[in-house]
Amino acid sequence: MPDRLITNPIKTKNQRSVVITAMGFVSVMGSSASEVHESIVANRRYFTRPGSHPELAEAAVRYFDIKSFTGRCKEARYLNRGAAMATASALAAVQASGLDGKQLEHAGLFTASGPNMDISGEMPNIRNGIIDEQGLKALFLLVFLPNTATSLISRLTGIHGENMTLGSACAASLMAVGEAFRKIRDGYLDIAVAGGGDSRLSPGGLLSYKKAGALWHGHEDPDTAYAPFGPDLKGFIPGEGGAFFVLESLDHASQRNARILSEIKGYGATLDGHAMTAPSPSGFYAENAVRKALDEAGITPSDVDLVSAHGTGTELNDRMEAAMLCRVFHHNPAIVSFKSWTGHLASACGAAELALCLACSDHRLFPGVRNLTESIAPDLDILIEPRDIRPSHILLQNFGFGGQNCALVVKPWS
Amino acid sequence: MTTPLLNRIITVLSDILDLDPATITADSYLIRDLNAESIDLLEIAVTLNSEFKTDIDDDAIFLKNLRIYLNEAGESQDDKRAYLAEKYPFLDQARIRDMVADLEAGPVLKVRDLASYIQARVADHE
Repeated sequence: MPDRLITNPIKTKNQRSVVITAMGFVSVMGSSASEVHESIVANRRYFTRPGSHPELAEAAVRYFDIKSFTGRCKEARYLNRGAAMATASALAAVQASGLDGKQLEHAGLFTASGPNMDISGEMPNIRNGIIDEQGLKALFLLVFLPNTATSLISRLTGIHGENMTLGSACAASLMAVGEAFRKIRDGYLDIAVAGGGDSRLSPGGLLSYKKAGALWHGHEDPDTAYAPFGPDLKGFIPGEGGAFFVLESLDHASQRNARILSEIKGYGATLDGHAMTAPSPSGFYAENAVRKALDEAGITPSDVDLVSAHGTGTELNDRMEAAMLCRVFHHNPAIVSFKSWTGHLASACGAAELALCLACSDHRLFPGVRNLTESIAPDLDILIEPRDIRPSHILLQNFGFGGQNCALVVKPWS
Repeated sequence: MTTPLLNRIITVLSDILDLDPATITADSYLIRDLNAESIDLLEIAVTLNSEFKTDIDDDAIFLKNLRIYLNEAGESQDDKRAYLAEKYPFLDQARIRDMVADLEAGPVLKVRDLASYIQARVADHE
């Protein structure tokens, strides 16, 4: 390991400012800034016990219907639940943007995608390794392919430009936004649509993370017991949802008088190269990703006044992340962790947390980390109750299985 | 033409193509009217297979080789009709006559053709 990280963000005079002009999201807290605000004010709770694994907890989105976003849509039969939430969010974002078909034709599309772990739902009858074909769609492979949502979003919106489907675990959707940001900043695109959607709440999804030892479990009430950064870090509570953003060059957005939600200032991504699931305890490359994003944004740690932490509630993540935040920040920025409200949206968590940050910035109220009566990092200013914050720079960070690290700096528009 | 068999086919089509079943009739064209694409035809075939417990020959039920057969047939309308009747024994003469007259307007496959195919397949089993 090198003694110190080296970051050399490439700066040229041709780099363009990039702004977010629309978003669409699906979450347990709602699908609009005002619904998220109401959820915080009313202190709503979303954890329930899954029928297939009553010792676990989950945060499921009720009443989600992809057809309410698409209208009649025969291709929706090929969307797994996560891909459906991605498609719904992308359509909502594009619709909110007011962009027309001619503008969208040249837009890019950056979609984070998680694996479909709903094995028993897709193939209810497997015996001795033989799959019963009865009931299988001719193209059932599409519910497993990573780019099915990408393909349908393109078909429904008329986006035909540069694109990428990212499978980088729980860092994927924040990376999708970061990659889209750079494509616009560097002039490859004027418009990009970026985000993700995911759900692992099926019996197969829950089983896979349960066997990996990554899930919160127990007899206590999850609504009062689950506390990222608390002393009892038993694992994460899985959630589901999606979020997409419309990114544009500032010039493009200004020319069409688009409403601007936020500027994206910097992005960083690294790989631990340490373990197949666990983050490196040193947090060295996680820190590297954060510092790259800050450098690219042209700011120092002291300019950050809000951090949206990955904060999963796992021992390995939260201890690494808390120590890393203590190393980087010496001025006590406010720290939030939305997973204590929404659960962990897997590959969609970064985009969802960005959407929730922008929603909270809009209403100037950020939620506390629930049930955090005792913090593993008392030196950090982790919110324990809602607080009125008007952040100038927000740092978002996500650390995924396989050592996928990423960070994004955004500046809410004022 | 409304039969229980036709209604079951319409239910399958409305489900796969995500259409209001009330808008589908025996005379709806699958491709011209219902916008069925090649992957939709694949789904329709596997679902009809399981719905009616009979093997479906995609080429036959969707008349996929119709234009090839027309090229192979003789020049006269009578020759064409006779050749198609031989290749598609589940279609009656009136339907074949309509089809040959309708070729210019696009793909001729209608919902009633699926019903005729299934009817013949089910009859074969009985």
